[in-house]
Amino acid sequence: MKPLIASAVFGVIMMFAALSVKEKKTFTLLATLLLVLLTGVNIYELMHIMNGEIPEALFNGMLKYGSFSIWFNTLMTGIALLYVLLCGKHIEKVGQHTGEYYGLIFFILCGANLLSGYNNLLILFLGIEIISIPQYILAGSDKRNLKSSEASLKYFLMGAFSTGILLMGIALLYGAMHTFDVSQFNFMEHNVDAMSLGGIFFIMVALGFKVSAAPMHFWTPDVYDGAPTPFTAIMATIVKAAIFVAFLRLFSETFGGISQHWTLVLSIVTALTLFVGNITAVFQQSVKRMLAYSSIAQAGFMLFAVLAVNATGFKGIIIYAVAYSVATIGMFAVLMKLKDYTYDGFNGLGRKHPLLAFTATIFLLSLAGIPLTGGFFAKYFVLTAVMEQGTGMMWLVIFALLMAAISAYYYFKVLMAMYFKKGEPELAIEVTTGDRFFLGLAAAAIIVIGVAPDILLAWLKN
Amino acid sequence: MSLHEILFYFLSLMALVCALGVILSRNPVKSVLFLIATFFAISGHYVLMNAQFLAVVNIIVYAGAIMVLFLFVIMLMNLNADAEPQKSRLVQFAAVLSGGALFLVMIAALKTAGIHAEESKIDSSGEIGLIHNLGQVLFKEYVLPFEVSSVLFLSAMIGAMVIGKKEEARTEA
Repeated sequence: MKPLIASAVFGVIMMFAALSVKEKKTFTLLATLLLVLLTGVNIYELMHIMNGEIPEALFNGMLKYGSFSIWFNTLMTGIALLYVLLCGKHIEKVGQHTGEYYGLIFFILCGANLLSGYNNLLILFLGIEIISIPQYILAGSDKRNLKSSEASLKYFLMGAFSTGILLMGIALLYGAMHTFDVSQFNFMEHNVDAMSLGGIFFIMVALGFKVSAAPMHFWTPDVYDGAPTPFTAIMATIVKAAIFVAFLRLFSETFGGISQHWTLVLSIVTALTLFVGNITAVFQQSVKRMLAYSSIAQAGFMLFAVLAVNATGFKGIIIYAVAYSVATIGMFAVLMKLKDYTYDGFNGLGRKHPLLAFTATIFLLSLAGIPLTGGFFAKYFVLTAVMEQGTGMMWLVIFALLMAAISAYYYFKVLMAMYFKKGEPELAIEVTTGDRFFLGLAAAAIIVIGVAPDILLAWLKN
Repeated sequence: MSLHEILFYFLSLMALVCALGVILSRNPVKSVLFLIATFFAISGHYVLMNAQFLAVVNIIVYAGAIMVLFLFVIMLMNLNADAEPQKSRLVQFAAVLSGGALFLVMIAALKTAGIHAEESKIDSSGEIGLIHNLGQVLFKEYVLPFEVSSVLFLSAMIGAMVIGKKEEARTEA
């Protein structure tokens, strides 16, 4: 509860700071400070849980935080901190409302908090909307850029439509279950009828849209490509991870008992997502657009955690969310340093800026899932989670491995450009010692997760 | 037939006819006007069910604010038959097919819903829709969603400000 209030209040503080603060650097400093505080509040809350305090349902069962949700929140605020440290300079460059942008980022964290702790479909809906609306604004924050405005409008219209579908699903489920409280859902008492199944599928479509699962992914490349790069970085990582946690909690905990009714549809969605994301990413010329398609492909892997309907799935999503988010934010941070976003822009980076190239290498290896990086264990955990449910999903796992092999091709294309091609990469912005330090830190984090993934799981109780 | 029933059938007929008018009329402005009439009919249903607050809110928010926005948008865009985008046969066929499939599912859902209708009667005194009860529920049971939605509206307001405000020439670039 405290982190939820803190994130909303900090967002308001950032807004008010915009009234009095003139220097843009001060915003980044203030946001960093507040994020450190927010992480502290989350850790404080986590300590209570670890000391054996039993979490209670709050507000008539609207919210229910367990060790999973609070640990996830702690990780997400930590990643948001890393994000601001790496991309703060670029956020200042986007437009004139830096304070408001940071305020919106805090609201996104507030929504992520709701999604990790919701126990009622109303809160799920509000959480998703609180995450979505700031994104529409952030996508269109570069007002002088036509592509940014297009991205914002497209995202807004499509997002509003998918919200309608989500509401329809919630309404149908309410009709079938007579309650919004997910812990009181009882599929045994009320037979699984067309109404509840219809509701489940509507919700699946809407959440699939929000995490950009195929065939609801058509907005993703345009929006991720058109939005200002620092905001693409947060949309593709923290937001996606938070919605995946909601997806996972809803489908594993609430609909888990009747998984035989929806796993087939979801596994087809997963296969399509993997296929479309990976195959289309191969043909991209711009690295930013390639990362957009790669985020679709990675969403396909995260869907495995939902498909698994077991405890390993929860572990998998934690590791996947962290490994994927850190690597993607790092990769975007490297990308933003360059003037040219095409593959050719990376030519000769290894010779000219060895540290940038080296950290980028680690991020890309992790995204491809090479052993000794976090991405390997992330993929390992989500695939094992599905395997634990029996051999019925074997075809999907083999298909995923094949797709992971394809993904190596387009990630390695960047590596080839950096190390084996000659060129003079132009930097858009100077690389300071601070940048080097935090990029190194992100890369180190990925290696640590890749060697000892258990440190991320030690905080989960049962 | 009691007055209540006569009113019910009249309002239902009006709602159905107007709803059909929304999708069947060629002129978008007429569509919107039909939609407003549909909202009024539904508001009438709310009054019949003793939910005055819902009826008033429905008229103010939907028939009032949102429909005016709709009309503005349609008039600004100056839609007519020429501007209608041409869709290929295949797309039309796919749309009909998937829409029909969805329709079937909804029919099936409604069919089973009929069985539960009796047991889901919440309050036999018929006072559930009164403002007093609504306030009690809103500020006791649903106080968290009520408060949390303020964050949602705040971010939407910031958005309107950030997007709508005129931006002076940028200092750099």
